[in-house]
Amino acid sequence: MAELQKDPMTRSDFLGFGVMGAIMGALLTIPPVAFVLSPIIKTDVLGDSDVGTGWEEVASVSEVGVEEPSHFKVSFPIQQTYGERAIQDEFPNSGKSTKEFALTNAIWLSWKAPVKEQGRQGSSGDIIGKPERPSILDEKSEGFTESERKEIMSRLNVLSNSCAHLGCPVRWMTDQQLYLCPCHGGLYDINGGWVGGPPPRGMYRYIDAEVRENGKLYVKHAFDIEPGLDKQQPYVV
Amino acid sequence: MIGRIRTQTTEASQFVVDWMEHRTGIVTLMEHLLYEPVPKRGAWLYTLGSAVLFTITLQFLTGILLLFYYVPTTDDAWNSVSYIMNDAYFGQVIRGIHYWSANFLMAFIGLHMGQVFFSGGYKAPRELNWVVGVILLLLVIGLSFTGYLLRWDQDGFWASVVGMKIGSYSPFVGGYVIHFLLGGDAVGPATLSRFFAIHVWLLPAAIAPLIGAHLYLLRRHGVFGSEFEYTDRLAKLHERQRLEDYARYETVEDDGEPYVGRRDRADREGYERDDE
Repeated sequence: MAELQKDPMTRSDFLGFGVMGAIMGALLTIPPVAFVLSPIIKTDVLGDSDVGTGWEEVASVSEVGVEEPSHFKVSFPIQQTYGERAIQDEFPNSGKSTKEFALTNAIWLSWKAPVKEQGRQGSSGDIIGKPERPSILDEKSEGFTESERKEIMSRLNVLSNSCAHLGCPVRWMTDQQLYLCPCHGGLYDINGGWVGGPPPRGMYRYIDAEVRENGKLYVKHAFDIEPGLDKQQPYVV
Repeated sequence: MIGRIRTQTTEASQFVVDWMEHRTGIVTLMEHLLYEPVPKRGAWLYTLGSAVLFTITLQFLTGILLLFYYVPTTDDAWNSVSYIMNDAYFGQVIRGIHYWSANFLMAFIGLHMGQVFFSGGYKAPRELNWVVGVILLLLVIGLSFTGYLLRWDQDGFWASVVGMKIGSYSPFVGGYVIHFLLGGDAVGPATLSRFFAIHVWLLPAAIAPLIGAHLYLLRRHGVFGSEFEYTDRLAKLHERQRLEDYARYETVEDDGEPYVGRRDRADREGYERDDE
């Protein structure tokens, strides 16, 4: 104390130092931190998403296999940094890049197999029967009525190919009649239910999916993610 | 003739060295920085740190060279790597060195840490150097992770997706971690830009001063287990043992004094008492 009293810091010195220090500190740290963390601010704080929220066409439901799942490609436009529409549409005749960026996912479509006995996550998979294809599809592949479309949607599995463990693409093994993840050996049945391996849950389902009159399936980029998490969160990459 | 040229060359170079030494002191500085007594026992193990330094220097040099052709956009990244590998002169060598020295770097770091750990080289006063070393290890892991995506091929892409999803499982901050790495909420052009920025600027800029600190602390305390330190510690140990033995001997003398001593003292004290 004796040392400090020789050259005392007055109250106004202290306040000035503290206030100026806080202002200078904020000026020096906030801009770079916000600059680097802007994706977090946009997605987590403001709740925006880079992925388009519109309907995207997948395929005609009559193309879905009878016994086996079929995979199709679906692309969602993404607006990210220099790929944003607003930036690309500026000065249209200047010859700059107008590339459209898209998130291309594979989607597994199959007919639901009835669950005979519910399994338990982590110990055993469901005991299931044969996949049941709606009989309407034998007669026509488009021009469905409202009730027929409902019937089709209630029978259809619309699954993301992104493994629920760490996001690797799963594929259907015809011999085993299971989906297999090549990275760590996650296994799922035809309904996307957990059968074995490290995934903490079954495959992700597209929750916004509909069949239209032309017989084609349309989906939005939204998944059955645990409540509390944003549906657009990238747990399905 | 040859002899005269040789003498003249030696004199000229000696002059240059002396001139530099006189003005910058660089020769003594280099001597101070480069020469380090190393114990005779296990001398080869002490080269592991230098091996790490060598491979990381290779990373810096070849990385700078790769930047002349690499283009960090989703459209061009793979093509530019392909150009380096197939068309650029010595491109395969440069990228091969970058790739293989990155692999060997991790191996050398593991061996180096093992050597320090099992020889007890992290003990006082070198704890901080161990801490700096661990930070360096984490930075190198970050560099390996971010470098993998830059190739923009299936291998690097899916490995990075898996790595980012591992990050998304972190408690409380998982969502923030993956959004920070993705630069949004989907793998796209922003992801590649960020990984490029982190791999090429952020982490190398962080790692370079820490390498300096690591080397400074090494030079300050010397390599652990040098002959000098070893004999010094051994001498200290012997001194301590001697003092302990002596103390035990003294205690024994106080408590259970031998009969002869007691009689001696009794005689002496009795004599002194008589004298009074």
